[in-house]
Amino acid sequence: MVEFLQFLVPGILIGGVYALLASGLGLIFGVMRVVNFAQADFMMLAMYLSWALFAGGFGLDPFLAVPAVFVVFLLLGMAVHWLFIRFVIGQRENHDAQVILTIGLGLIFQNLILIRYSSEPRVVAPAYANEGDFIGDIFISRVRLYAFLLSLLVAALLFLFLNRTGTGRAIRAASENWEAATYMGIDIDRTNRIAFGVGVALTAVGGAALVTFQSITPFVGFRFVVVMFAAVVLGGLGSVSGAFVGGVLIGIIQSVSQVWTSAAVKNVWVFALFLLILYVRPNGLFGKVQRAI
Amino acid sequence: MRRLVPFIVLVVVVAALNGWLDQRFYVRVLTLSVVWALAGVAWNLMAKAGQISLGHSAFVGIGAYGFTILLRDSDTSPWIGMAIGMGVAAAVALAVGLPTFRLRGFYFTLATISFPLILELLVSHYGDPELTVPFHPEGEWEFMEFSNSHTYVWVGLGMLVVALAISELIDVTSFGFALRAVRDNEVLARAVGIRTVAWKSAAFMISAALSAAMAVLWVKAVLRVTVAEEVFGITVVIVMLSVAFVGGVGQTWGPVVGAAFLIPLAMFLDDSIGETVPGAQELVYAAALVLVALLIPRGILPAIERGCRRIATRPDPSRELAGRSLLQRLAAPSPRPSPLLRLPLRRQRPRMPLPAGAKVLEVDGVAKSFGANEVLSDVAFSVDAGQRVGIIGPNGAGKTTLFNIMTAHLRADAGRILFKGAAVDRLRAPRRYELGMSRTFQVPQGFHLMSPLDNVVVAAIGASLPHPVAASMAMLERVGLAGKALGELSALTTAEIKSLELARAMVSEPDLLLLDEPLAGLNESERAGFFGTVDELVAPHTAIVVIEHSVRSLIQYVESVVALDDGRVIAEGPPEDVVSDPGVIEAYLGSKWMEHARDQ
Repeated sequence: MVEFLQFLVPGILIGGVYALLASGLGLIFGVMRVVNFAQADFMMLAMYLSWALFAGGFGLDPFLAVPAVFVVFLLLGMAVHWLFIRFVIGQRENHDAQVILTIGLGLIFQNLILIRYSSEPRVVAPAYANEGDFIGDIFISRVRLYAFLLSLLVAALLFLFLNRTGTGRAIRAASENWEAATYMGIDIDRTNRIAFGVGVALTAVGGAALVTFQSITPFVGFRFVVVMFAAVVLGGLGSVSGAFVGGVLIGIIQSVSQVWTSAAVKNVWVFALFLLILYVRPNGLFGKVQRAI
Repeated sequence: MRRLVPFIVLVVVVAALNGWLDQRFYVRVLTLSVVWALAGVAWNLMAKAGQISLGHSAFVGIGAYGFTILLRDSDTSPWIGMAIGMGVAAAVALAVGLPTFRLRGFYFTLATISFPLILELLVSHYGDPELTVPFHPEGEWEFMEFSNSHTYVWVGLGMLVVALAISELIDVTSFGFALRAVRDNEVLARAVGIRTVAWKSAAFMISAALSAAMAVLWVKAVLRVTVAEEVFGITVVIVMLSVAFVGGVGQTWGPVVGAAFLIPLAMFLDDSIGETVPGAQELVYAAALVLVALLIPRGILPAIERGCRRIATRPDPSRELAGRSLLQRLAAPSPRPSPLLRLPLRRQRPRMPLPAGAKVLEVDGVAKSFGANEVLSDVAFSVDAGQRVGIIGPNGAGKTTLFNIMTAHLRADAGRILFKGAAVDRLRAPRRYELGMSRTFQVPQGFHLMSPLDNVVVAAIGASLPHPVAASMAMLERVGLAGKALGELSALTTAEIKSLELARAMVSEPDLLLLDEPLAGLNESERAGFFGTVDELVAPHTAIVVIEHSVRSLIQYVESVVALDDGRVIAEGPPEDVVSDPGVIEAYLGSKWMEHARDQ
């Protein structure tokens, strides 16, 4: 039982970060029906930004850097939408174009970083990186706890944004029925742009939360891409709150599977679960079909 | 003959390059171009059905590991290893395809991502992350151990030609028609007898087998070691995607054009600046993907074809000749009449003509709810051979849902459907069409990437007609669309699209024809002529069920009317009786109106 809890607690903590990563992907799919294969590479870029702010002379604590990361990636996401994504939105024939465009963009990010920073793994190790507390027999790493609390905070802010602001409501309206939203006078292009920016920024913050315990390489995103998809599909494609629950579940499964099998194959369980959900409950565990919130 | 020209050009070009190039690097570039063209052709088979797979590296990995392990453990020839690997890959494709193909849209793409990841993790952890291919200099052909690196190019060229021939064969047979129909409009494809899951599975299996074959050549000719991270890796998929999308997604010759362009570019760039710019190769593929997505989403060949067609449609005859270049031939869609069109995959079931007065359709106690919303409850009626029945009812009464249940586009929650006396509840849409049930749609459906003729041909293939093209052309003549048979679907007027829907529904000579609001969108004179056209087309024993809001036109045509309201049958019988039934008037006009009418 203790062994189980020793895996369960870190699983929940990392699951919170997965939830944050996945919520961005879910928001983007919910609003504009684009499966963004570059999402994990935005996370990778955010990790490098966090590392640069920490190691590049500023010495900025990665958790304190989160607001800066959010703003930078909100703008970057909006720029990428304006430059590329908006041209492949809408029509049914654009489905293929969305897939290859986002895969291509992700590859470009990876290789530009590779050219600039090489493939050497980078780490962000603040002074408290190895600290932690025991609660009973269970060790709780401080950085993982902070990352989890950060995710909860961002989730709360996201909830307020989507429910209490005009732009947030427009995003929800567009994700429910964008055609009807245009009739209500919602500027769909602007809404998409903001949603893409916010979605990218959410995932970027998730990346920034990871850097204290995840080494950074140009190809780190690939390890997370299916984890993010799994969380999103688990919670129901297009549902932000579903993606949150899905993320936590994935974290738990990944961690608890180590009770039975080696940590090296923990993702096999995640991928297998992902397939199982696609086959058995393609609309997600909660069965809500393509709703944003 | 016309289809042979690209093959000849390919063989001549590759042979000339193979004879002429002698520097090791150039031979390597040529080998890899052929290898990736082969991989792209394999991947593209799935794209013919509109399915984007991101998991083909699973099959490449199976092929690579399969032959290496067999060679290591039992000195099995790589040729035999290749055959076994192809078999295993095809079996795996079937196993993973069957559950996935029931889903549509993004789900297939999403599901495919995880296959290679699972395999790579399992192989790396429980097997060998890296295998050296044993060296067997004693058998040059037996062990594919060629001392002359040009020989690998010949072998690769042979495999590429075979793969292209398979792809070409698919294009010109009913197989290709089925895949194009699935890509274009899967719901409609199922409604006209195309067994979409079977065809997609077949394409996926062939595609997987070819990917496994390509892996053997790739490892033997280039890699020399089988590394899990490489053969199961995402880069394999990215190169496949790039060559296929750049050349033309779903087009047989697309990957060849894409590979001829991208692979040398990437390799020369890597050779010249790879030292200082480590990701140069990947950047080429990435840039190609982004540019194609934004500029020519269907690839180079379709873009050329469109350009040529634009030139060819100008009245200048010399221009028209210039337009018929080799590239246009490469890009050209399948030719119309082909002797190969009918693949003997399914024997046509002989259909017994129904005796007059026999029951064609019996609907018994059918109920359907969407969540808490009860759309149909306990609906029952029957239709005799040759009878014409109208279904009326206000919007939301459940009329179209009833049609969708009859044709298996929806499943009923309760009740039975008997067709020609046999229960068909467990049969899916394509099977019901084969048995003789045909329909049109409330919102007219079409295969928009196909000509009007091909729209009907798909339905003729679905019905296993012996001469699908001839039968379809004859049907188009009867509905007056012969002149537009080879044009664009988007050029048809509403009335013409209705006629096309009718032709598509009638080509199988159904026993039961379901017409869903056939008069909607037609003008007064078109309405007047429509049912006359239907009568000219149908056989005397064919029963017709019509949903129609234009009650006046309907009651002149049908012999019996079923009125639905709120999911229940509220009246049934001869048209005049039903339309004067107070319940029906109330359903249409509301109870207030009834009170008003009573007061008068």
